[in-house]
Amino acid sequence: MQTQLGSAVFPRLLRRSLSYIPSILYSLHSLLNLFHFFRFLSNSSPQSQKHKEMASPFLSNTIISFSSSLSSSSSLPRLAPSIPFSAIRSKSTPRRILTVRSKIREIFMPALSSTMTEGKIVSWVKSEGDVLSKGESVVVVESDKADMDVETFYDGILAAIVVGEGETALVGAAIGVLAETEDEIAEAKAKAASKSGASTPSAPPPAPTPAAASTPAPPKSTPAPAAPTVAEGPTKTVATPYAKKLAKQHKVDIESVVGTGPYGRITPEDIEAAAGLSPSKKNVGLAVVVETKHAAPAKAPAASAAPSSLPPPVPGSTVVPFTTMQSAVSKNMVESLSVPTFRVGYPVTTDALDALYEKVKPKGVTMTALLAKAAAMALAQHPVVNSSCKDGKSFTYNSNINIAVAVAINGGLITPVLQDADKLDLYLLSQKWKELVEKARAKQLQPQEYNSGTFTLSNLGMFGVDRFDAILPPGQGAIMAVGASKPTVVADAEGFFSVKNKMLVNVTADHRIIYGADLAAFLQTFSKIVENAESLTL
Amino acid sequence: MHSTLSFSRATTVPTTNYAFHSQSPINLRFCGLRREAFGISILTRSSSGRVRLSTRGRSKRISASTGNNGTPPKSFDYDLIIIGAGVGGHGAALHAVEKGLKTAIIEGDVVGGTCVNRGCVPSKALLAVSGRMRELQSEHHMKALGLQVSAAGYDRQGVAGHANNLASEIRSNLTNSMKALGVDILTGFGTIVGPQKVKYGKVGFTDNVVTAKDIIIATGSVPFVPKGIEVDGKTVITSDHALKLEFVPDWIAIVGSGYIGLEFSDVYTALGSEVTFIEALDQLMPGFDPEISKLAQRVLINPRKIDYHTGVFATKITPARDGKPVIIELTDAKTKEHKDTLEVDAALIATGRAPFTNGLGLENINVVTQRGFVPVDERMRVIDANGNLVPHLYCIGDANGKMMLAHAASAQGISVVEQVTGRDHVLNHLSVPAACFTHPEISMVGLTEPQAREKAVKEGFEISVAKTSFKANTKALAENEGEGLAKLIYRPDNGEILGVHIFGLHAADLIHEASNAIALGTRIQDIKFAVHAHPTLSEVLDELFKSAKVKAPASTSSPISEPVAA
Repeated sequence: MQTQLGSAVFPRLLRRSLSYIPSILYSLHSLLNLFHFFRFLSNSSPQSQKHKEMASPFLSNTIISFSSSLSSSSSLPRLAPSIPFSAIRSKSTPRRILTVRSKIREIFMPALSSTMTEGKIVSWVKSEGDVLSKGESVVVVESDKADMDVETFYDGILAAIVVGEGETALVGAAIGVLAETEDEIAEAKAKAASKSGASTPSAPPPAPTPAAASTPAPPKSTPAPAAPTVAEGPTKTVATPYAKKLAKQHKVDIESVVGTGPYGRITPEDIEAAAGLSPSKKNVGLAVVVETKHAAPAKAPAASAAPSSLPPPVPGSTVVPFTTMQSAVSKNMVESLSVPTFRVGYPVTTDALDALYEKVKPKGVTMTALLAKAAAMALAQHPVVNSSCKDGKSFTYNSNINIAVAVAINGGLITPVLQDADKLDLYLLSQKWKELVEKARAKQLQPQEYNSGTFTLSNLGMFGVDRFDAILPPGQGAIMAVGASKPTVVADAEGFFSVKNKMLVNVTADHRIIYGADLAAFLQTFSKIVENAESLTL
Repeated sequence: MHSTLSFSRATTVPTTNYAFHSQSPINLRFCGLRREAFGISILTRSSSGRVRLSTRGRSKRISASTGNNGTPPKSFDYDLIIIGAGVGGHGAALHAVEKGLKTAIIEGDVVGGTCVNRGCVPSKALLAVSGRMRELQSEHHMKALGLQVSAAGYDRQGVAGHANNLASEIRSNLTNSMKALGVDILTGFGTIVGPQKVKYGKVGFTDNVVTAKDIIIATGSVPFVPKGIEVDGKTVITSDHALKLEFVPDWIAIVGSGYIGLEFSDVYTALGSEVTFIEALDQLMPGFDPEISKLAQRVLINPRKIDYHTGVFATKITPARDGKPVIIELTDAKTKEHKDTLEVDAALIATGRAPFTNGLGLENINVVTQRGFVPVDERMRVIDANGNLVPHLYCIGDANGKMMLAHAASAQGISVVEQVTGRDHVLNHLSVPAACFTHPEISMVGLTEPQAREKAVKEGFEISVAKTSFKANTKALAENEGEGLAKLIYRPDNGEILGVHIFGLHAADLIHEASNAIALGTRIQDIKFAVHAHPTLSEVLDELFKSAKVKAPASTSSPISEPVAA
């Protein structure tokens, strides 16, 4: 059956969207050209005709045989239908065991491409009551990529069409019902009726197992605004085209999203914020959307993908949706949880730094620039601390030392980046910083001016904070949290007391790539640079 | 400037000065715009001293020679007057000069018409930007090529400037090419006052009346705005305004999903806007071959930040004001019931174009327009209210509505000039290609598949369809742009090409092999032996022709089937 499917579907696929065989094509193509060329030179027409005839079957044969061997190649996702097909089949196997007695089978919406989540029925080749034999085309399905004939795996009679022409169904949903004999048609029809049944609430999906695969999609995927579940106000929901697309993709109920765009419209950012907060959007996914329609009441915390089912807010509280910047922060913070971090603190004596600061302050040098420069110089000696771990398998050593500095702006947080901080001198660095801050205030930072950082600096010392702990931003190896510099009584090796300015720095790092000793050595270097601050002006 | 450079073409005996130019080969037939390059080169060569000479040589309005076809008793100011200096008028004027006609062109606005100033030309500048933006933004595409690009951004003013500069450059090329060849450019709105007589003049000035043996109307068209839509030029705009790119809205509704709408959706989405299409018909992209439009929708619409409403009219559009957004009332095209209300930041009206024929004085010669279009026969001869031909009067381009494309207008103009200089010529409109410059591009020539099938049934012949994919083309894959399809509709019995449709990388440039084949009557069994360089995109058409199954044998006289090797 498997082979039947494979051999029957592939040629059709190939014919419809033509060949997907780039890797072999060059050689094949040049071979073909050679044929043409040869024909050209020889110029004996019967001969050339022969070549031509040889060429075409050769081509098509090759494509077919290659296609099967290439079907598992990841670079050719579209040849993948065999995989989703079998996936569906295996998913449905337990069901089939259950239903095997009645010999009534469902025809599922196949996944015709790796990215396909739903398909539209272009046309039913067969109509209800038609006798089908294994391998025959039953229905034409339009995916996000192409139209394809879908064949039956079994002999039987098409008892009922669940999803009509022009309608859309999720991948894996039943689109038709197949009866083995005429006697079972009635039973199959009854089953179909229960399948198509948003209208028949008496038959909720009984299986507690992943219902998404067998639950039919509502005929129209856009939720009807007139749904009687929640009495919405008279205001109409306005969502932008991309917001609607995202909502569909992330299975966000658009009616439940508060729009923050112009005129209160729902923007893509609103959807992202709504989807970004959902803890397990993939698992909930389809099921939630469908089940909320069935008014399944208690779906507990997982239901936050559809915030409408959250407990009602405490009376009198106001809900202020995140701005774009806040959504981005929120998203990054949640993402950071996937990185194993650890922290190392270090006291740094700052008398020399403070003295230098007093000296260069009139020239427009800021403490931020001094700290960034010191960190950059230390990083130059410890490249691993400037590296990052992108895939969990390797170190990515960054060729530039770009110091991102966290800045609070209008209830948000942004990290303008001092690029090549180790190479620029203090004055240029200070000037650059001033520009960046102005741009950040005016919301005019270009993306590479806030997302190209390789190391982050966060300073709360000016508020008197003596130590704190920073969260490592995704994509970077380490972040340094700088506390206030305070006069501290210290005893030296000889037991003499003196008062020195000390500040605590605390570095959070990704332990997949940066280990304790790396960080300790880096901090030692940093401390030495700060204690010999004159080197910063070099 | 105008007078200094205008040469008199009154005499067939060329001055020394002129001889130099008259030898210049003007042999690009159906491509008005390509001649600008030629025009510039003339100008460059003729500058430095020669300008002065030509001033002396300028003669005031002496009677035109009668030309070499027939000898009407009257004498005229010109052999040919063209009303409207768009691409159509320009193409006609250049060809007329080549044929030795004393030619004048009347323009009430700016030389270049819609195409150059408010159409194809500035839009190509915007599309060039959008194409690059799209590429730079496509992380996946860049990664596949091994490229790393940090976020791409753009400066609206800079983009708008590029479009504007391009238009003025092409405009001056066009102007110069005509001046250099000795076409008189008469400024003002032209009106036909009687047979072979035209008056022109600016508002508030006295009119001049000139006579010509033949007159071509080439007044073009303006954007069509359905009633109920209020265009304020800021938030509710036509292509005229959109091309200035004065603002890039977050969300723009585009009314109409034809060429203009599609191209603008490409521009706006590349620049970060979201787009909502409003289409009166049930399908997006009507007018394209259904298979092509389906594929195009998968590539150009579905994956982009675009949604659409089909089968609806935008019956009322109110510009943004008083703190309210642009409001669009949608009415069902069939039931005429109110269906939806959209609130967007801007609306672009791309519902087509209306002929610009008001004030032409057609009533003076008893011609009645049909929905504004000037009725013509297949030789572009104007037909009057009684169904009779108006002698010596022709109408080309958008104003006759036969095929509203710049290059079609130019081809029609050339066809008219051929006729008035004694060679009968009928333009085969089925050989005129059309292109939509989205990314990737769409192009076509001849019939669509449904049209061909209808014709086949009516005339009782068989048709076949051949297709090739860009995925099988080496060059397309090298560019990582394998998305695309070429489709050939042909007669298997005699190998006649009925239509070719291409969707894919550089489709607009690829179509000409097919359109030339149709124009020259080349059959598939012959053209399939033509050689294409490998690896090039042109092999898509090569494959297409080779995959067609024609019963007729190749013609024996075809020179390329002769042996090349000695």
